[in-house]
Amino acid sequence: MAENDSEWVVESIVGYLGSPEWVIPVTDFMENKCTVFDDEDENKLSYTEIHHQYKKLVEKLLENYMQEVGINEQQFLDACTSPFAKSQTLQSVFQPILATDDFQMFRSLMVQKNMELQLQALRVIKERNGALPECLTDGVDVMTELQQQEMKILQEVLKQSKEEYDKEISMRLLLEEDTGSTSKGDKPMAKNGDSQNPASPPGQQSTIAKVNSKPVIKEERKTAATGGGDQRDCGRNSVESGVLPAVRAPVKYGEPSHSSSPQNKEQRSSSSHTAAETWLEEAHKEAGFSKPYTELTVSQQEQLQQRAAYLRQQRDKLQALKKEQQKTKQTVPSDEAPASPTPAPVTPPEAVGQSQRNGVCTTPPPQYSDHSSKQKEISPEEKKKLQKRKHLADKLKEEVIKK
Amino acid sequence: MGEAQKGLLSVIEKLKGSTEQEVRIVLLGLDNAGKTTLLKSLASEDVNTITPTQGFNIKSVASHGMKLNVWDIGGQRKIRPFWKKYLENTDLLIYVIDSADKKRFEETGLELSELIDEENLKGVPVLIFANKQDLATASPASEIAEGLNLHTYRDREWQIQACSAVSGEGVQDGMNWICNNIVNKKK
Repeated sequence: MAENDSEWVVESIVGYLGSPEWVIPVTDFMENKCTVFDDEDENKLSYTEIHHQYKKLVEKLLENYMQEVGINEQQFLDACTSPFAKSQTLQSVFQPILATDDFQMFRSLMVQKNMELQLQALRVIKERNGALPECLTDGVDVMTELQQQEMKILQEVLKQSKEEYDKEISMRLLLEEDTGSTSKGDKPMAKNGDSQNPASPPGQQSTIAKVNSKPVIKEERKTAATGGGDQRDCGRNSVESGVLPAVRAPVKYGEPSHSSSPQNKEQRSSSSHTAAETWLEEAHKEAGFSKPYTELTVSQQEQLQQRAAYLRQQRDKLQALKKEQQKTKQTVPSDEAPASPTPAPVTPPEAVGQSQRNGVCTTPPPQYSDHSSKQKEISPEEKKKLQKRKHLADKLKEEVIKK
Repeated sequence: MGEAQKGLLSVIEKLKGSTEQEVRIVLLGLDNAGKTTLLKSLASEDVNTITPTQGFNIKSVASHGMKLNVWDIGGQRKIRPFWKKYLENTDLLIYVIDSADKKRFEETGLELSELIDEENLKGVPVLIFANKQDLATASPASEIAEGLNLHTYRDREWQIQACSAVSGEGVQDGMNWICNNIVNKKK
């Protein structure tokens, strides 16, 4: 009789550990706090505080649960120590509870979560842009051969880790279906990323972004200077309304002369609005909800918003590098042209325009070589960036090899 | 409320249900005393690439059929206020002293006496490692024991052990004392 009793309790506990009342707050907590957890041997002092908060959260949740179901601690303990609960599948379900008492286990859960989210963020950016983020692929012209090799390795590693990650997720999906807990549907993401920007194919986008449609515009400028200016704006907007909201921000603040055109303003605000929506949608698909955003419960919406904020944060980090690069590019006179409404005085002589046009077709445009000489001046900064990338590559490599 | 929480914690503790006896040991001392080196030496790891600890390290060492979870927390002055966050449920304190750093004997004595007064360490046995005995300028353990007034400790077991974390000399003797002491206490 007593055994039957504990069996019922175990099932109820397992059910609770798979229910949104448990999963949402615990997952939220982990996703919000995992960013400081890295793979270093040494622990940061802040881990202890986070572990303490986690303990409090789990205690509160379990207390509420026991009160609701009407079991006491002894029954809870009996159930958890019963042979039924000791089975392998159930042990993994109990892991988040055990992590309250086991700092090492907690730490490894958090490190794993952090790694997952990092790869996820990279993947989201890759899928949205149709390629690796430009902060990882752009600026090849300013790199030495050695650095280019490093980039190749990094790309390889990213590809590999993505595959491994996909495998792991599908495995986990299967496993989680067994245990009845909610899962993160990552599969819809793949379709999502492609279908979301039918208007501006990623490849085209990046070409526009890189070349800035300058050579073409310059030709037109010969005939009608203002017309050329308009087209430039359109070109920029098409880039902006794409999937690079973080890049849009500096354009907005850095070039106030642009906002004199009301049409631009309108387009910008609407594009930023759609970007926010897409982010939410993204997060929402990722969380595995099939209902539209507006039909979700408040807590679910909240979760999605937090998730979106997190992904945005991750993306911003990656794109911060790109921003820096763009800023340095803007200091080059020839690149300033699209930023100013009256670019005529800055336009270089005919001969330069010619050489630029030639340059675009085959190799990176000459302003990049200008740029590379500039880059040498700020090499310490550049070095730092590259070191960061190298570090990231090493981390990912390590992770992949470990698995 | 507080009682309920305590109960729940013990529930979770029992959940682990490991057959092995687990011992929580906290490893403290001033910066540059050799805590991390000692920890790595205990875990039979390389001791040549150690940098000042900014946070904390944990190693689990199996010894005498017990699992010793050793927490090594950075000893820099700015980290010391965090020590007390790690003292709860501690079974044993290891305090490490740089025996060659005579200028800081007073400082290290003050820190130790503050620890001894901590509520969470009440009655907790303490092992003092008089480290860096491989250096010619190191003071002998007996001298340090006298300087620390160890003989006045009446409320707990204590032991001072001369050692060199770099060479490993004396470290095992200290661990033997720990294991004997814990076994006696827990029985």
